[in-house]
Amino acid sequence: MSNHSQPTIGSAIRKKTEWDRKIFVAACIFPALLFLGLFMYYPIVETFRLSFMKSSGLGPEIFVGLDNYTRLFKDPEFLAGLKNVFAWAFWSIIIQIPLAFYIAFSLTFYVNRFTKPLRIIYYLANVLPSAITAMLGKFIFSPTNGILNSLGTTLGWNWLSDLDFLGNQSLAFWSVFTIATWTYTGFPIIYLMARIEQISKDIKEAAELDGVTGWKYAFYIVLPNLTYPLTILAVLCTIGSLKLFDLPYMMTTGGPGYATVTLGITLYRHGFINWQYGKASAIGVVIFLLSLAFTIIQFSWQHKKGDGQ
Amino acid sequence: MKKFAILCLLFILVTTMVFAQGDKGAVAPVAEKTKLTIWGRDIPDTSADHMYVKSLIEGFQAANPDIELEYIALGDPGLADKTKIAMVANQVPEIIQSWGGSVMGGYADAGRLLDLTAEMATIPGSDAARNAMSWKGKTYGVAPFFAIAGIFANEGIFKAQGLTVPTTVSEMEKVCDALLAKGIIPFACGAKDKWPPLAMYMYLVNRVGGNAFDKAQARTLGFDSTAFIEAAKIYQKWVEKGYFGPKPLGEAYGDAQQLMATGKAAMHVTGSWMCAQYANKEFTDQTIGFYAFPVISGGVGQTTDVMGMTDIGFFATQTAASKKEAVVRFFKYAMSVEACGAEPGRICSVPGVKAPSALTGMASAVFSKAKTVQFWWDQDLAPAVTSPLNDTIQTFFLPKADVKAELVKFEALVAENMGVIKK
Repeated sequence: MSNHSQPTIGSAIRKKTEWDRKIFVAACIFPALLFLGLFMYYPIVETFRLSFMKSSGLGPEIFVGLDNYTRLFKDPEFLAGLKNVFAWAFWSIIIQIPLAFYIAFSLTFYVNRFTKPLRIIYYLANVLPSAITAMLGKFIFSPTNGILNSLGTTLGWNWLSDLDFLGNQSLAFWSVFTIATWTYTGFPIIYLMARIEQISKDIKEAAELDGVTGWKYAFYIVLPNLTYPLTILAVLCTIGSLKLFDLPYMMTTGGPGYATVTLGITLYRHGFINWQYGKASAIGVVIFLLSLAFTIIQFSWQHKKGDGQ
Repeated sequence: MKKFAILCLLFILVTTMVFAQGDKGAVAPVAEKTKLTIWGRDIPDTSADHMYVKSLIEGFQAANPDIELEYIALGDPGLADKTKIAMVANQVPEIIQSWGGSVMGGYADAGRLLDLTAEMATIPGSDAARNAMSWKGKTYGVAPFFAIAGIFANEGIFKAQGLTVPTTVSEMEKVCDALLAKGIIPFACGAKDKWPPLAMYMYLVNRVGGNAFDKAQARTLGFDSTAFIEAAKIYQKWVEKGYFGPKPLGEAYGDAQQLMATGKAAMHVTGSWMCAQYANKEFTDQTIGFYAFPVISGGVGQTTDVMGMTDIGFFATQTAASKKEAVVRFFKYAMSVEACGAEPGRICSVPGVKAPSALTGMASAVFSKAKTVQFWWDQDLAPAVTSPLNDTIQTFFLPKADVKAELVKFEALVAENMGVIKK
């Protein structure tokens, strides 16, 4: 009797323990899952649904199929926004990442008593709220009392004081981009510095023995070792550009004309000013799908190369 | 099990006795305060353009201790954005500050607002202000202050240059040329913010084609018809001649105010809400006057056709349905001489409130002569086309813009959202 009962009790205890563990795991996961579902997945599903509707948010919703999408690709503001975010991504990769590499390498290779304060200074802009950086940007580029305008007037440089940094269609994009470069380069600098510091000392010593120092070391030794993090930064730049809203909105509200409009600004204007929730949702879906595509590229790259490299 | 049941019964018995005793011995409850939550734009502080709101909130609370007032300042565009979201979710406070017009109409159509037509009829106020807070024959709130657009002119500059404030557009062009020759910017504008250039365009369209906007809104005329195109061409010509300075697109509305305040610009076509600041000696040492927009020789519109909008208004929502009496008391106080008397600049729509400054007096005089008051376009058109309207007008400032093509594009959008032109 006892021989038969022993394994039954044991398995019952095991089952109970297993059951308790499952409850514990579920209890741990449930709150996070609930929040994710409520505040992330449900809005995504709702955005997809709304993108097929004509809706002002207040009246009845009318199913319009793909009409919002077809109208979107004829909308000059949306097309300008699409062009601008890709231009932004392109120039971020061309300008911000090489600049970040240059600064990161300088701060890692030429270590002295200024290195630590400089690290803080470069990262500081990244910590500042974008409202503050936008205000600083306006303070620099304002046509009436901006720093550059005043400087030009004081020095008698009419070519400088006559420039309309935020009101000229050709200059506005670059004025906002300059502030963005200052703001957004902090993170890549810190990230690349961490990666550069991970390069084995043996490699550095071997390079020194072979007479590869300074910027030759940067190009022939460091840069090839940073292919993976640089690619990740490029993907992050692209995704960040797709979602860009705050800085151009606060500096130029997307103008003059559509010179600095982004997909985020277009979405905001259609949804909150024009009361076109369906169209705004369609823009949201486009941003989501484009971001998803680049995230998949990033993940597949990580999978191929391995995160630890 | 039995013990548990007995315990439960005992608990219920004791609880019932306690509550019964409590009910018997209770004193008459103190009347609870009615709480009204208001979403407004401005912080009730001591700055000149916030004086009315400060007086309203503090004065009402002192005079009505049985009502608890919670005033939340959300700024601009924070108030508009939050109101829209809250209206969609149907989670709104009792009272919201508003400019009335089509935006308020959208909320009324959705059944979110409280009809106070009968109650508001007993509160004295100007017809223009009452109409601004009404939609489809029903009144939803009050507008203690109403603004009109006109020309703020720097009288010191005009006097020094031997010029007179123009009464026709051709005179205005001569004045602008003379000012430009002296290195003075004829018009402060602030086109970077997109909405400020609308004031002048509304007038130009009116002066060219009379009630062209009313017809376009009623869909019997297109926004790409002659009056709109002619007005746009005049506007573009003025931009090209430099009447708005060398950098109008880089300047925001605040910059335009600074240009006027420092005497760098001679005129500013904008709303009378600027009266408080332009009359304030701490803000500007210039002497500024307010005048009606000139007429065009051979045009249809008259100086008595005025563009206007609610300056400060409030509407009540369905949340206040059970607190109607408190809301009406608040609206009556908002329209009282006591509350409105604190305002240093705006045109008051309440009879008996004196103009607080000579400048407001000038604006009020223009308003009092008005035979027609056209509501500000971007407050009157369907929300789907208002920001594209301001985008379109901003294109007049872009070099070599085809203004006709831009208006054709805008008309297509209007046709899509408000219907095609009725033959």
